[in-house]
Amino acid sequence: MTDRVAVQVCDLRMNYGATQVLCGVDFEVRYGEVFCLLGPNGAGKTTTLEILEGFRRPTAGTVRVLGLDPAAQAARLRERAGMVLQECGFPRQARVAELIDLWRTYYPNPRPLCDLLEVVELAEARNTQVRKLSVGQRRRLDFALALAGDPDLVFLDEPTTGFDPEARRRCWAAIENLRRLGKTVLLTTHYLDEAERLADRIAILRSGRIELTGTTQEVAVLAGLATRISFTTPAALRRGQIPLPDGIDLAVRGSESVCHSGNPGMTLRLLLDWALQHSLGDLDGLAVTAPSLEDTYLQLTGART
Amino acid sequence: MTRSIRLAMGQALIEQRSFWRSAEYALFTFAFPLMILLLIGAANVGSYLPGTHIKNTTVFVPGILAFGVIVAAYVNLGSKVAVLRHDGVLKRIKTTPLPSGAYLGGLLASTVATAMLLTAGTGLIGWLAFGAVPRPGGLLTLAAGLVLGIVCFASLGLAISSVITSAESAGPVTYASFLPIAIISGVFDPTFGGLPAWLSHVVDLFPVKSLAQVLQGAYAVRPFPAWDLANLGLWTAAGAAFAVWRFRWHS
Repeated sequence: MTDRVAVQVCDLRMNYGATQVLCGVDFEVRYGEVFCLLGPNGAGKTTTLEILEGFRRPTAGTVRVLGLDPAAQAARLRERAGMVLQECGFPRQARVAELIDLWRTYYPNPRPLCDLLEVVELAEARNTQVRKLSVGQRRRLDFALALAGDPDLVFLDEPTTGFDPEARRRCWAAIENLRRLGKTVLLTTHYLDEAERLADRIAILRSGRIELTGTTQEVAVLAGLATRISFTTPAALRRGQIPLPDGIDLAVRGSESVCHSGNPGMTLRLLLDWALQHSLGDLDGLAVTAPSLEDTYLQLTGART
Repeated sequence: MTRSIRLAMGQALIEQRSFWRSAEYALFTFAFPLMILLLIGAANVGSYLPGTHIKNTTVFVPGILAFGVIVAAYVNLGSKVAVLRHDGVLKRIKTTPLPSGAYLGGLLASTVATAMLLTAGTGLIGWLAFGAVPRPGGLLTLAAGLVLGIVCFASLGLAISSVITSAESAGPVTYASFLPIAIISGVFDPTFGGLPAWLSHVVDLFPVKSLAQVLQGAYAVRPFPAWDLANLGLWTAAGAAFAVWRFRWHS
């Protein structure tokens, strides 16, 4: 692991015929982080992942995964990277533990079976026939197979699409377990809550371009979204007995006063100074709300007017 | 190399285990040929081929040996690979470092095992129930016919798997593509005849009749089956070439 980054993508371009699917995608995934490629359907998430997994050769651009060129060194990559594809079946008659054990024989340094069963919470189902598993259990078996070779990096393509809340919750728990094992995880999703919940860093992919990259908060700031600060409107202010604070665009909406700020620390200081000056004490009901990923995403994808 | 062989053997073992676990596959593969052997064989007991001293069953039993090889190699492997591809199992295999050759080698080894077991079962029942045994001088022909037959129909099975578009049609397509030919090749009826000359020539071109004739030559004295062996070789080459050309790891 001489590389600082697990995955490096530079100016990645992909055309299918005349259609440009990826038009210059750049991002990096650091070792040990859970990185989420977030975007609407058709944004190019799966294409990007398939290039990184060595299933497709890009039209242009450079890609390094664990220091390897995926298209040219697919066999070596597959010893060190686990892949969970969007939809992939199991042999019909196989049983859970038997299948995991078979998969372990494919790799030079497999993880112990009981360890794998525990990580994906399938220990009780170890002797169950695969076709009798629930959707969520099947997905966790996908994880177990992808982890069989004890990979450094795991690709997850839309791991919870179409799941009920309970199945999603358990699937997320399994991904949290991957993080705990120190695995680097690159996952794609179109669910905001999934990205917000799981990812250390997020890249928002739209129409074949990365719009923004960073932590949830960074992404929001980069998107120009402001932190919301609100408090219960003091009686004196409502009666017009004191002036509005200077330098803050405060809106008094009946019982609640609200302002938005790109620099919440500064704004709070001004606000509390103003409160002190007019003997308002600590402002009642003071709340500081960071912009959510949803706000950012909706703003970027133009779903909100 | 040894790693690939070890992996292929491991794959073959698990294929066998799941084969025997699946009532549908195992029962159909084994019960169908053995049932035909017993039922039609019983109807031929005591009869001789017209104008000869050769018992009907002496020709019928090796015909069913050929049928068994075709079911085990062609029908089983062909539909199995089609289902594996349709279910995405082949695609999943490509996400692992398992060499493709080791995986396919494992499937083939498992197919060979199934075919050998079915052959043994058919031969044994043919001997015990109908007293049909290979000639001492026919053992080499028998071995050659079985090996070539398994290889030929396995390659044809891989080839047809690529034209099957759904898991549901895998069984029907593989059966329907050879059963009519098997019937007009006389596999189920040693005295079968009366085909128009042109149709009879067409039937001679197919590998089903060739395999049956090679194996029948191991039981009853026949001229050396040069054409049949060559024909099986040609079909093997054609099947393998098509399989390689059309093989896909995803549906």
